[in-house]
Amino acid sequence: MGRYFLLLRRVSGVLALLLALGACIPPVFAAPKAPLVLAAASLQESMTAAAEAWRRHGHPRPVLSFAASSALARQISGGGQADLFVSADEDWMDALAKAGLIVPETRKSFLVGALVIVAPADSRLRLRPAPGFALLRALGGGKLAMADPDSVPAGRYGREALQHFGVWDQVSGQVVRAENVRAALGLVAHGAAPLGIVYATDALAEPHVRMVGVFPPGSHAPITYPLARLRTSTNPEGEAFRRFLLSGEGKAIFRRYGFVAP
Amino acid sequence: MLLSGDEWAIVGLSLQVSLVAIIGVLPAAFALAYLLARGRFPGKVVVDALVHLPLVLPPVVIGWMLLIAFAPHGVIGAPLARWLGITLMFRWTGAALAAGIMAMPLMVRSIRLSLEAIDPRLEAAARTLGAGRLDSFVTITLPLARPGVLAALVLGFARSLGEFGATITFVSNVPGETATLPLAIYAALQVPGQEMAVWRLALVSVLLSLCALIASEMLLRRGRGRDRETTGPSPHVL
Repeated sequence: MGRYFLLLRRVSGVLALLLALGACIPPVFAAPKAPLVLAAASLQESMTAAAEAWRRHGHPRPVLSFAASSALARQISGGGQADLFVSADEDWMDALAKAGLIVPETRKSFLVGALVIVAPADSRLRLRPAPGFALLRALGGGKLAMADPDSVPAGRYGREALQHFGVWDQVSGQVVRAENVRAALGLVAHGAAPLGIVYATDALAEPHVRMVGVFPPGSHAPITYPLARLRTSTNPEGEAFRRFLLSGEGKAIFRRYGFVAP
Repeated sequence: MLLSGDEWAIVGLSLQVSLVAIIGVLPAAFALAYLLARGRFPGKVVVDALVHLPLVLPPVVIGWMLLIAFAPHGVIGAPLARWLGITLMFRWTGAALAAGIMAMPLMVRSIRLSLEAIDPRLEAAARTLGAGRLDSFVTITLPLARPGVLAALVLGFARSLGEFGATITFVSNVPGETATLPLAIYAALQVPGQEMAVWRLALVSVLLSLCALIASEMLLRRGRGRDRETTGPSPHVL
């Protein structure tokens, strides 16, 4: 029996050490009163600024989880409890609406994005997207960075706009497909590609690039960011923050970051 | 090291998630390792392959499977929520589950190798001297497997610290709950001008991982030294 005690003592020593380690870590599992907002990754700076502004009004700062709209929508479909969802495209919001997971009357397409062409900050180029515009010559044999047109909304809009002006077939061989729009932006900012297609918001966020052309709204499907309250939301702070986002003050914040807020 | 308060919280959360992950998974990992080291049963190859699956599958697949299984509407998540009131979604416990599953193959491997290196005759000798099954397990097998178990904990801890794909797919990127070091670094990389934050967090990651790897190597060496005195052949982990 003595051997058991010896072993127990050793094991309990290790356990005590681990528990002590665990105990000196600040507890983070206290249930937050703040609403949980699931937002498309492209809203990171603007939504963070909005949450900060809301906090300055004396409310608990909303907890923001940024990931791909698709991943967030799947988490909501799985039964994840959150208060608000802001998607980067209408399709995922439609899917949730069909499944009855959002409160329909709280859905608003509250932001509109613009699609632009960017070049490194020292570029003197100017492009006016129009039928057959000289994108190929502007590339000069370099790569055109954009989000993957087959899977990422920003890439899909970009291909649509280039097809609209009839230049997609000329440049498609020079397109580098990035995993998301910010990765495409990085390729231009770091000089790996002379031109890229990103949202205006991305271009404004990155000082190492310059906007050299803007796609007119008619050249691609409207880029809208729908917002809705989730059916399972019980925290009144969620609805209050939603109203704040739709208010004049809320919209002004998003305009600063390059969105059009109708 | 000049981390901001938020960044310290991220480091603390990462340590908490990883510690809970490996401690929670250890009993299962030990049982599986014991089964694979000692058991003889049909379908052992399949069990072996299943255990190693998280090591080779894309983490995003594991995350998606966890989502299907453990989301509040999932096969396991629904009864958990209804009967026990436990939800893992958007919680640090969910992040720990994802990290634990991803760390499991490494832990099983490490424990299994140390179990296989134990001379079964030692246990048999204990039995002939009158020790019961449990007695010989606790006094012979467990102490001899200890280096493997410790190495498993350290390796599993290091693997958990780096877990990204399964976590963001399963429990999202919630600050203070599931936004561990890799997710925080990924989020910071999406924002131009956050390079300094990325550097700081990346440096912490490198330091923590280095410490864990050096610790596991030292544990293994100590284990080998002990083996030479007692059982002979040394277990090679990985």
